[in-house]
Amino acid sequence: MKLQKQFVRDGETVAVSAEHVRDDRWRVRVGDRVYDVDALPVGEGGVRIVPVGDEYERSFVAHGAAAGTDYMVRAHGRTHTLSAPEGRRGGGAGGADGKVRAPMTGTVLDVLCKAGDTVAANQPIVVLSAMKMEHKLTAGVDGVVESISAQKGGTVDQGAVLAVVKPAQKEDS
Amino acid sequence: MATNPPFRRVLIANRGEIAVRICRGLRELGIESIAVHSDVDARAAHVLAADHAVALGGNTAAESYLDVGKVLEACKRAGAEAIHPGYGFLSENAVFARAVRDAGLVFVGPNPEAMERLGGKKAAREEAIAAGVPVIPGTEKDDGDAALIAFGKSIGMPVMVKASAGGGGRGMRLVTDERDLADAIAAGRREAKASFGDDRMILERAVFPARHIEIQMFGDKHGEVVSLHERECSVQRRHQKVLEEAPSAVVDEDLRRRMGEAAIALGKRVGYDNAGTAEFLLDEQGNFYFLEVNTRLQVEHPVTELVTGVDLVHLQLHVAAGGKLGELLAGKDLTPRGHAIEARICAESPENGYLPASGLLRLVREAEGPGIRVDSGVFSGWDVSPFYDSMLAKLIVWAPDRAAACARLSQALRETVYLGIPTNVDFLRRIVDDEAFRSARLSTDMLQHRPELAAGPQDGPDDLTLAAAVLCQAVAPQRGGGAGAGGAASGGSTAAWNDLAGFRLFEGSR
Repeated sequence: MKLQKQFVRDGETVAVSAEHVRDDRWRVRVGDRVYDVDALPVGEGGVRIVPVGDEYERSFVAHGAAAGTDYMVRAHGRTHTLSAPEGRRGGGAGGADGKVRAPMTGTVLDVLCKAGDTVAANQPIVVLSAMKMEHKLTAGVDGVVESISAQKGGTVDQGAVLAVVKPAQKEDS
Repeated sequence: MATNPPFRRVLIANRGEIAVRICRGLRELGIESIAVHSDVDARAAHVLAADHAVALGGNTAAESYLDVGKVLEACKRAGAEAIHPGYGFLSENAVFARAVRDAGLVFVGPNPEAMERLGGKKAAREEAIAAGVPVIPGTEKDDGDAALIAFGKSIGMPVMVKASAGGGGRGMRLVTDERDLADAIAAGRREAKASFGDDRMILERAVFPARHIEIQMFGDKHGEVVSLHERECSVQRRHQKVLEEAPSAVVDEDLRRRMGEAAIALGKRVGYDNAGTAEFLLDEQGNFYFLEVNTRLQVEHPVTELVTGVDLVHLQLHVAAGGKLGELLAGKDLTPRGHAIEARICAESPENGYLPASGLLRLVREAEGPGIRVDSGVFSGWDVSPFYDSMLAKLIVWAPDRAAACARLSQALRETVYLGIPTNVDFLRRIVDDEAFRSARLSTDMLQHRPELAAGPQDGPDDLTLAAAVLCQAVAPQRGGGAGAGGAASGGSTAAWNDLAGFRLFEGSR
């Protein structure tokens, strides 16, 4: 059995593969580095990783679970949310693609711009009420508001595109 | 405390961790517990914890836990003699408390008259002034936007804009620039209208840097009011408490006595009974100013329980049944012992502007061990609904002193696992491990000045952690679906995660 996956780490795509050797033994490739480890299941969603030849120093327990289209892994007391290269989404700030999405299901309290307005990155576009708090959703990029689908008083689903900002001329990345 | 059960059957008009905690208290006293629930909560932790459950129907709070008629009807149907309102929802609603009494039932909380006199910030402030308790200079009423703005300018920035009916930080804003006043008042009115159905605002001089110190007060139906001492809740964000502790590192015996006496004077003045909390700001010179009274059991009540040895839910029930504090607390030494800290675990992402999250909690492993208490309302496979508050659980530790309690809380947070949706667990640990927290240099605005605590470290996972992420899915049993309304759909959307043969893991998004 061989598993392959791509994650984004520090802005760069990293290929990770795990090839089953025998019993608990796996050969893992992270980019061009190779690690031989034993992976021991420990209860629901948990695994003890024992690097071969380095058992004493570096063995640890990790827990993992899917989180929507991401995958969350917790090890060494830290949680990392891993996204696939194409799966990255914006949060409170609109994405670099200019789309302002609802980070969660909620009600639109106010729409602060209209189509055609020039906006700056981090400028509030829509005010959303969710879980009894107000959240200002901001433009992810400098540009011109191409369209706004959010309507004051309307209910929106998580991930819904509420506005699209056409990025200003400067093309980077 | 008394040995006979004060009631035979009690209904809990709440959900989440507090309803679970009350169920436990009821069972310990030999009282049957009745849960109520909305449609999405039919399999919620509080329903599982109760002896019986009554469906209220609906999903939003307004359709379910806030519907006075439905809750009273459930109480009658279940044959309960008393209603414990928990915190939030109907707990500080005097109309509800009166309706409960008029229906011949017992409300486990203050009498509605005392609640009305202390419930609104404005009313409470007037009572505090009359009781000789120091207050912050501010407006006494809402005469409209223009008057509020004029007053704000007259006392000078910074000022605090607050909902007159408020609580829990909703509708509350700090304004440091006069030009932002109008916006802050407008936004506050919207939030207050949505949360309390009352958009009146008041304005006060902002005292800071300040520490938030509150006194747990308790009254009985015979005119007695006692203080169970202070809690410090200075670590806040957007005026919502993040970490709470007892005792406070900066409150000495003399200040504890004076603040306790202020709370008792206020409680006695209004004939307060049952649990209540008088909140104060403490400035750097050691002056304290009355803020408001929360006329209910507080979220952070466990830290008081751990340092005083008093079970506040038990005491609430005994007092509601007419018990006398003098007898219930007879022979108890209430001097704070050791140190307790509570961390509120919320479904939110401090790293991403504190955005609240909802969705399937696939994996929950809560901390355990000596001196660790977890009051939780969730479990592996629970679908966190967007309809209610984002708090999932409270992690509370006790240790002989503050340094040991900090170490214990950090350790407990390290072993805590909530995966599937973002939580603030790592954020809480960063605060607890921070030098400012360890040395008790706290203030209500400390998180504003330390954005890096919310942002977290910027380095990504190391190679072996990435390896573990893949191997977890290869060898550790993974949860496919979950309980709750969204469970089946959420499970379906992640079927790709469980399909090891293909392993195109990032396909099949919702």
